[in-house]
Amino acid sequence: MKLSKEKLNDALVLTVEGRLDTTQSDAFEKDIIQILDEGEQKIILDCSGLNYISSSGLRIFLIIQKKMMGIGGQFSICSLQPAIMEVFDMSGFSMIFSIHPDLETALKQ
Amino acid sequence: MIIGFGFFPVIIFLLCLFLLDSFKLVSPRWLIICIIWGIIAAALSYYGNNAAADLGNLGFEDVTKYVAPVVEELIKGIFIIILVARRRVGFMIDAAIYGFAVGTGFALAENTWYYMHLGHDFHVVLAIVRGFGTAIMHGGTVAIFAIVLIEGVHRSNRIVLGGVIGMLIAIILHSAFNHFIFDPFIQTLLIITLLPLVFYLVFIYTTRHLQNWLEVEFNNEIDMLRMIRKGQFRQSKAGGYLATLKEHFPGETLMDMYCFFSLYLELSIKAKRNLLLKESGLPVITEPDIKDKLLELRLLRKQIGKAGEMALLPLVRMSHRELWELNQL
Repeated sequence: MKLSKEKLNDALVLTVEGRLDTTQSDAFEKDIIQILDEGEQKIILDCSGLNYISSSGLRIFLIIQKKMMGIGGQFSICSLQPAIMEVFDMSGFSMIFSIHPDLETALKQ
Repeated sequence: MIIGFGFFPVIIFLLCLFLLDSFKLVSPRWLIICIIWGIIAAALSYYGNNAAADLGNLGFEDVTKYVAPVVEELIKGIFIIILVARRRVGFMIDAAIYGFAVGTGFALAENTWYYMHLGHDFHVVLAIVRGFGTAIMHGGTVAIFAIVLIEGVHRSNRIVLGGVIGMLIAIILHSAFNHFIFDPFIQTLLIITLLPLVFYLVFIYTTRHLQNWLEVEFNNEIDMLRMIRKGQFRQSKAGGYLATLKEHFPGETLMDMYCFFSLYLELSIKAKRNLLLKESGLPVITEPDIKDKLLELRLLRKQIGKAGEMALLPLVRMSHRELWELNQL
């Protein structure tokens, strides 16, 4: 799993690549919490390179969502691969997150 | 102030346990019902103990040491058995909290009785021993009973075995406390140091267990449902297994078994999603069609019958935890 960040317009774009499972989630959570503590108001998670997510990964997405809701910020996810999008749809998580087909659309939001 | 010593420790202890429940497995409504049952249990125990004393012509000491632990633990435990049987308890954490809540209700009622009857004799030392010692003991014994009971249900799916062992432990601990083997202050100190440690270990163990369970089951169920929806289920091991059942079940039943399995997967995934949402402190989602789907699942389960359910065991175990999980929807 690889996480990189880039500031685009008013949003902080986090790009996650690889697998987000139990073994990777601790490190991911640590990095994410550090980023969240910086107080960004708009975060976009670019998941174009994310090819697997387990419940541990989803838990971290929920942590971000909760934190952003708490500070009145905006959190969105973009470019989910079809297989991952299916996980969100099947579990109903797609109703909780703001999901966009690509980064461009997410930035316009 | 003195009254406070008799009442607040057990309430604060229960509140701490409730707040430590990171997955929010405990419903506040059931928690309150547990406390109310504890109060009722105290009243029933009062009459039960008196009746037993009259019947056996026993003195106060015999009643406190041998009769009360049996009568009180049995009456307190009844409600926990009902909760487990109704699949309202899924893990050790919620079992322990519900159990402690019953004991809290019991202790509050008992200490009120003492306060009302002793008046000025309800002095600070007695209040401390009863508030920190006896009250926490009452919560602790039911919590331990509930923990052993739910573990028994999970390990062997035998509520009776878990219930008997758990009840014996609760009665022995209660009786040992009432024997005052140690100085009351030392007993109180032991209780307020050991019980939080027990709860802490239970919380750590269950949280880890719950997270592992979610991790493994959630992903497997997603994979299987995905294959079903894509029409690739027959190529999977599970699909192959279901195909072998053709020889043993009529087509209609087989169709129902397939529908049952697929609907179960869908509902189970959504129930796990709700658990994850609760853990994150986000509101759970209740889809408008969930009730209908749960009803459909129940009807399908009835239609496939015991034999169908047994045949589906390698794919879906409708054990206590699976049924409890559906209550999260």
